[in-house]
Amino acid sequence: MASSMTFKPFTGLRQTTSLTPESSTLFNKLHSTTTLTTPKIRAALTSPKIAGRKLRVAVIGGGPAGGSAAETLAKGGVETFLIERKLDNCKPCGGAIPLCMVGEFDLPLDIIDRKVTRMKMISPSNVAVDIGQTLKPHEYIGMVRREVLDAYLRERAAGAGATVINGLFLKMELPEAPEAPYKLHYTAYDAKSGAAGQKKTLEVDAVIGADGANSRVAKSISAGDYEYAIAFQERIRIPDSKMQYYENLAEMYVGDDVSPDFYGWVFPKCDHVAVGTGTVTHKSDIKKFQLATRIRAMDKIEGGKIIRVEAHPIPEHPRPRRVLDRVALVGDAAGYVTKCSGEGIYFAAKSGRMCAEAIVEGSGNGSRMVDESDLRRYLEKWDKKYWPTYKVLDVLQKVFYRSNPAREAFVEMCADEYVQKMTFDSYLYKTVAPGNPLDDLRLAIRTVGSLVRAYGLRREMEKIEA
Amino acid sequence: MTMTMAMALLSSSSPTTAHLSTLSSPSSSKPHLTHKPYLIVSLPITKSKRTHLSISPIIRATSDNGAGIVTTTPTVPSPEEKPLETPQSSEEEAPKLVNKQGAVGATQPVVEEEELAPKPVRKFQDPKWVNGTWDLKQFQKDGRTDWDAVIDAEARRRKWLETYPESTSNEEPVVFDTSIIPWWAWIKRFHLPEAELLNGRAAMIGFFMAYFVDSLTGLGLVDQMSNFFCKTLLFVAVLGVLFIRKNEDVENLKKLLEETTFYDKQWQATWQDESSSTKKD
Repeated sequence: MASSMTFKPFTGLRQTTSLTPESSTLFNKLHSTTTLTTPKIRAALTSPKIAGRKLRVAVIGGGPAGGSAAETLAKGGVETFLIERKLDNCKPCGGAIPLCMVGEFDLPLDIIDRKVTRMKMISPSNVAVDIGQTLKPHEYIGMVRREVLDAYLRERAAGAGATVINGLFLKMELPEAPEAPYKLHYTAYDAKSGAAGQKKTLEVDAVIGADGANSRVAKSISAGDYEYAIAFQERIRIPDSKMQYYENLAEMYVGDDVSPDFYGWVFPKCDHVAVGTGTVTHKSDIKKFQLATRIRAMDKIEGGKIIRVEAHPIPEHPRPRRVLDRVALVGDAAGYVTKCSGEGIYFAAKSGRMCAEAIVEGSGNGSRMVDESDLRRYLEKWDKKYWPTYKVLDVLQKVFYRSNPAREAFVEMCADEYVQKMTFDSYLYKTVAPGNPLDDLRLAIRTVGSLVRAYGLRREMEKIEA
Repeated sequence: MTMTMAMALLSSSSPTTAHLSTLSSPSSSKPHLTHKPYLIVSLPITKSKRTHLSISPIIRATSDNGAGIVTTTPTVPSPEEKPLETPQSSEEEAPKLVNKQGAVGATQPVVEEEELAPKPVRKFQDPKWVNGTWDLKQFQKDGRTDWDAVIDAEARRRKWLETYPESTSNEEPVVFDTSIIPWWAWIKRFHLPEAELLNGRAAMIGFFMAYFVDSLTGLGLVDQMSNFFCKTLLFVAVLGVLFIRKNEDVENLKKLLEETTFYDKQWQATWQDESSSTKKD
């Protein structure tokens, strides 16, 4: 699949020093970008060869983005440092990964706690629609524990040759000269010495910022801010009989009571459920929305015990600046979370990998210095590949999360089998495949019909008082 | 400005409300009444929800503590929201949430033993609502289904649920789909009256424009229509009537247009950066 394709050029590069001919043909096959005025390997030719050592790259943040970036870098022959502040961090997260991630990242199946094969969409007036009938037997949405997934990816990176440092990144000194290194300041934690950390510095040639929504690397390069949603989640342990219902089912609640611009959810985890909601525009009301979510799911979570309450920001769109000089942002730090579904794990891991690949290619397996144009190639590849997905989800959010009538129409449309098939295909495999045009037309008409009916009903509702 | 006023009022009133919270009866209603107008303004309440709240103060007075009353929760809809919206009660709530972790999920949300538990069960009930959908047999009129009544009933149900959201249940799932109501019923109800209105307006405007242009240029209606410029104007007028029906629509359309390209701009932002940085090199 995609992963095998991208790894082919590396094996070719390692053998010979005359990189140009075979690399260029392979790269041309990989992506047919016509907007590029310069061929892909220009940097490898014109950048100076580093004498006596490999290219040093630091990856700040050891989540999915950092872990996969570090692994790809290390495998590509680059000297990699992975700096993570909390090696056992249980990042608050929905924890859903698409099917393609298991294949693309060679994840072992025991990482997946649960395989969700059914979803229930619940409208503001509690109309419940089951989706998932179109899924084939081998298709599922994987629910993972972040601490398990992150640790696995980091260990794999370490196994490939990356140096994993347990430390908190403090700040970064930008280089004075074009070839000068970045000086990173971090506090190193040593399990043996206990609480207090030791201030250390590290000099590297390039930095990948994978440190999440509150990225310090982003601040160092003045990447700018983004709008973010607050996702609030309570982990509730419910009695086994109720847990049976959520065996392989996740629920999504939409409504003004649950969230004005997002949705509330009940996701099954290893032995408990996560009930949560999120919002961008009304962050101060998040507890109210959480309460409403609990009310809507009350029958099914009654008798449960809250074992953990957590919240985290989720970026809504990419930062104004994602690359500066030899620093690139990936994952949540860059803002690669989709609208509508709020999905980020796969995109974090994939962007980490893509960025690392761009560095490996641009540096000729760590033998040459990289520059901004190499990192921009990662951006270009990323934008080209995933822009349609992001745009479609943005449109869906704008159309269907606007108001209660729109949400009612949304849930009604989810009952349509064609919609289910398209939705799952695009979610599980991360491709926006155009369907049959006749079916698309039928779908468009049905959508308009649903919306018209729901808005008509709202007009009637406005006439009613009390 | 109203927010800072509200903050000042709330902070100044907190000693009094703390005192009041120990009372169970709303006897000290005077400070409550004077606070009311300011606090109504400052709390973010949607207009539509204010109309039908005559029942709530009664419920509040019987079942809750003083904190609820003083901070004007009577004007705020849905009893479930009450404890978490007001600053005073939110302080009470926070420790409760932490301490009662075990039972919170169990009964009515958050403050279980106190006011919310005895809250009347506001489940939506209607004799015509059977097994999670409307029983069309009960909507018969003159031997045919009265679709207007079905539409009214569904509107009432949705309104009820908007005000009093209730739990979904696996035993009684809601399976109603609005598409069982035929398309012509919707058109008759919603489209036709507005179409009549717009056509009437268009006809009146058209008549007077035709008269006006005739008086200025001497061209009759037929001659006016054969002119390309006039045809274009007519086209613009038709589109205008379709899309701009109220004064707000102009602004709405502009915002919509901006919205469609906003996300694209956010993604392109990093490329704007490139052109300026390459100039530097």
